Amino acid sequence: MKYYKKIKSIILLLPVLFQLSCGEGITPEPETTQKPGFSGKITFIGAWPDSITRTHLVVFKNLLQSPGDFNILNLKFVGPEIPYGISEINYNSLDTAFIQITSGEYAYVCVAQSKTIDLSLNRIDWTVAGVYYANGDTTKPGTLVIPENTLVTNIDIICDFNNPPPQPPGGR
Amino acid sequence: MEFLFKMFKLKISVYVITLLFSLVTFSLSFAQGYSISGIVKDTLGVPIQNVNVVKKGTLLGTTTNQSGFFEFKNTKPGIYTLEFSLIGFQKLVYDSIKVQNNSVFLNVVLRETLIKAEQIIITAGRHEEKISELTMSAEVISSDFLSKKNLFNVENALRYVPGVNMTEDQISIRGSSGYSRGAGSRVLLLIDGIPFYTGDTGETIWEIIPTSQLERIEIIKGAASSLYGSTAIGGVVNVITKRISDHSLTSVSSFLGMYDKPHFDEWDWSDRMRFFNGLTVSHSNRFNDFGFSASLTRLEDDSYKQSGFSKKYITFLKADYDFSTTSSLSLFFNSLNKRGGSFLYWKDSKNALVPPDADQGQRTATNRYMSGLIYKNLLDQKFLLNVKTSYYLNKWNDESEAGNRATSNLIRSEVQMDYSFNDKSLLISGVEAMHADVRSNIFGDRNANGFGIYSHFEQKFSFPLIVNAGFRYDYNKLSSIKGSGAISPKVGLNYKLNPQLTFRTSFGLGFRAPTLAEAFTSTSTSGITVKPNPLISPEKNLSFEIGADWNFKEIIGAEINFFSNEFYDLIEAGIDPADGLVIFKNVTRARIQGFELSYNFSLLKSDLLFSANYTYLYSRDIDLKRALKYRPKHSIYSSIDWKLLNVDFGIDARYWSRVEEIDEELIDLGLVKDGKKRTEVIVFDLRVGYQLPFADFNSKILLNADNIFNYNYVELIGNLKPIRNFSLSIEFQF
Repeated sequence: MKYYKKIKSIILLLPVLFQLSCGEGITPEPETTQKPGFSGKITFIGAWPDSITRTHLVVFKNLLQSPGDFNILNLKFVGPEIPYGISEINYNSLDTAFIQITSGEYAYVCVAQSKTIDLSLNRIDWTVAGVYYANGDTTKPGTLVIPENTLVTNIDIICDFNNPPPQPPGGR
Repeated sequence: MEFLFKMFKLKISVYVITLLFSLVTFSLSFAQGYSISGIVKDTLGVPIQNVNVVKKGTLLGTTTNQSGFFEFKNTKPGIYTLEFSLIGFQKLVYDSIKVQNNSVFLNVVLRETLIKAEQIIITAGRHEEKISELTMSAEVISSDFLSKKNLFNVENALRYVPGVNMTEDQISIRGSSGYSRGAGSRVLLLIDGIPFYTGDTGETIWEIIPTSQLERIEIIKGAASSLYGSTAIGGVVNVITKRISDHSLTSVSSFLGMYDKPHFDEWDWSDRMRFFNGLTVSHSNRFNDFGFSASLTRLEDDSYKQSGFSKKYITFLKADYDFSTTSSLSLFFNSLNKRGGSFLYWKDSKNALVPPDADQGQRTATNRYMSGLIYKNLLDQKFLLNVKTSYYLNKWNDESEAGNRATSNLIRSEVQMDYSFNDKSLLISGVEAMHADVRSNIFGDRNANGFGIYSHFEQKFSFPLIVNAGFRYDYNKLSSIKGSGAISPKVGLNYKLNPQLTFRTSFGLGFRAPTLAEAFTSTSTSGITVKPNPLISPEKNLSFEIGADWNFKEIIGAEINFFSNEFYDLIEAGIDPADGLVIFKNVTRARIQGFELSYNFSLLKSDLLFSANYTYLYSRDIDLKRALKYRPKHSIYSSIDWKLLNVDFGIDARYWSRVEEIDEELIDLGLVKDGKKRTEVIVFDLRVGYQLPFADFNSKILLNADNIFNYNYVELIGNLKPIRNFSLSIEFQF
């Protein structure tokens, strides 16, 4: 008789287990009208240094507090190459990018320049020409916050070649 | 050409040495006398095949044939004890068998049971041991389970074993592995005791194993490097093939299946039903001292994923020749020829069953051939010589832009000697060597060499306590990388407090040498670029486990195991921050701990069986203070089997919790879109089998419905596992 009680318990337990698996599991990402991104204007002041081979708008997840922070895993956005010698450019991260940004919080947004002929990911080969500051506070880099399904605007950067910003550790 | 000639010469040399061993020791064989034979049946009077019959106090053993018949020939006068055991049946000891001036014939009846402790296992100590006498925990999958679930790949059967997780085709026992993209394994696969892994990547090729030819699969959980060397750092899977039939026996099995429509309409990429089918034909026979078993399997799968299709041919040959009742030579040949598409990651979650545009139309071609020789000679009642040699040729190429291709040759030879001082003391020692040679555009032209020597001693006391201790020394060298050696000791205890309760514990060191693929891979596939790391070094571990088995009146069985593993210099694939390329490196100190609980009971005279087990796994990267990748913390397996006259019903359920850590780097770099999408695994399967009532031949029909709730889940990021599918199979023997 006690065996039949066990059978009964199992039979009662089965619907509970079945219910657990009646979810769909993984679902397709819903279509959104707006992809996450950011846009703004980059202004260059003064004469461009000689021998610049490439200039890019880049975004890092975390602050560059050591040369090791300048790495591909910390790098979350790389915009298209900015033409040499221009005085200003309007950009939109959704237009084109080598690495596309996703929603989230980013601690360091800057314009970086390199003089090497081949593309290098070594910190020493790059110079920061301008940094994004939030709300006019130039004492520390501004944080870029991109909510889901939102294009954040007015992320403006000034690159003053006569008065360059503080360089992260590991540069020349 | 010169290389191929050298390889051929080396292969021939190895085989000649093995044959010489055979001939020399054959001349030492002996024995004339009477026989002990008999027939083993179940309680309904049906003959039982594959029952293990051991002559206690000696190393002699045999198994029953299709008629349940067994025989020990050339038995000297004396008093003997025979022990009969088989998975699913209660062990029986037949003692005081008196052989004087006559042969003896026995009628043996075995009773069915659920209790695992009565099952036989072979691998753990490189000799036949009962699972209840092991010092480490183990599991056994029977051929009946493979047949009932229509499993044509061993990989799928392993997903139902407690303590085992699969990430695609890569096995992880107690969290030993994550996903290494086919490069290296921490679990050693053996086929009838012969190690089986590729010479280039060191990976396990599950799909080559002909499931229709298997008697059982044994899984040893925990480090077994002290017996099997490098690859066994996380455990061992030993596949035991069926015994060659003593009379003409032909088997045919065939199945046809179809995948259901995907859960979401937007995933429905195909305008037609997707089918899978298979056919296996096998024949086995024996002519006096020579016997053979051969099979051919054809498998075709349209796949539920675009570019996931495949067509495979698997051949298997096993032949043996008995020189005498105490010496035999066995030959194995196994091959896989496969053509198929390639699906590594989805395009995105809205196109979950379609690969990225860049991967469209990619094809792979694989040809693998494995041959092996096993020579056994019982030189006297105490001393068993076992010589094994194998050759594995492995060729593959893909039709991607990179045009990856590799050809590898792997040769292994091993001599093992078992000496039984008496029925309580056993010494096992051996040496083995391997050589691998690889020609590839992604690994380069490389070679690998390895050498191992081991010795283990087991002592049984009457308390009853079993103590075993041993060690193994291995030396491995990869091409230009400096060679390295390692000693792997191990000690274990087994104590049977009473017939119902057994305790066991073991402690040991293990190691794993990196494979050629981990050291030298240089390729790019699906946007992922892998670079070589010639500075890679072996990884090591320290393992400990303690456990207990309990059973009550053959109705209820329970088991609990606690385990702890400390890994040093663990090799994992990761992204090099400097350049964003994938590299295999000694990344971390890791700790893996946990416990397993198993419970089963039978009702209605074993016609209704219920089993459930739970595994808790705590895996930690101690340096990075986070979980290891692709290790689920909680796993539950459960099944119900009900037999009603000629019909078998079954439900299988498994649950894995959502893995905490995955390849985030691949997602951050944009290589796997929506790759973070993962969930817990909850899968239910149903099966019904019907034994056809034909007296002349054994036949049955099976209907399987897998993933009946069409639950969508991944094991590896961006790669959806099979959606709901149905299959109908039929098997018959004549």
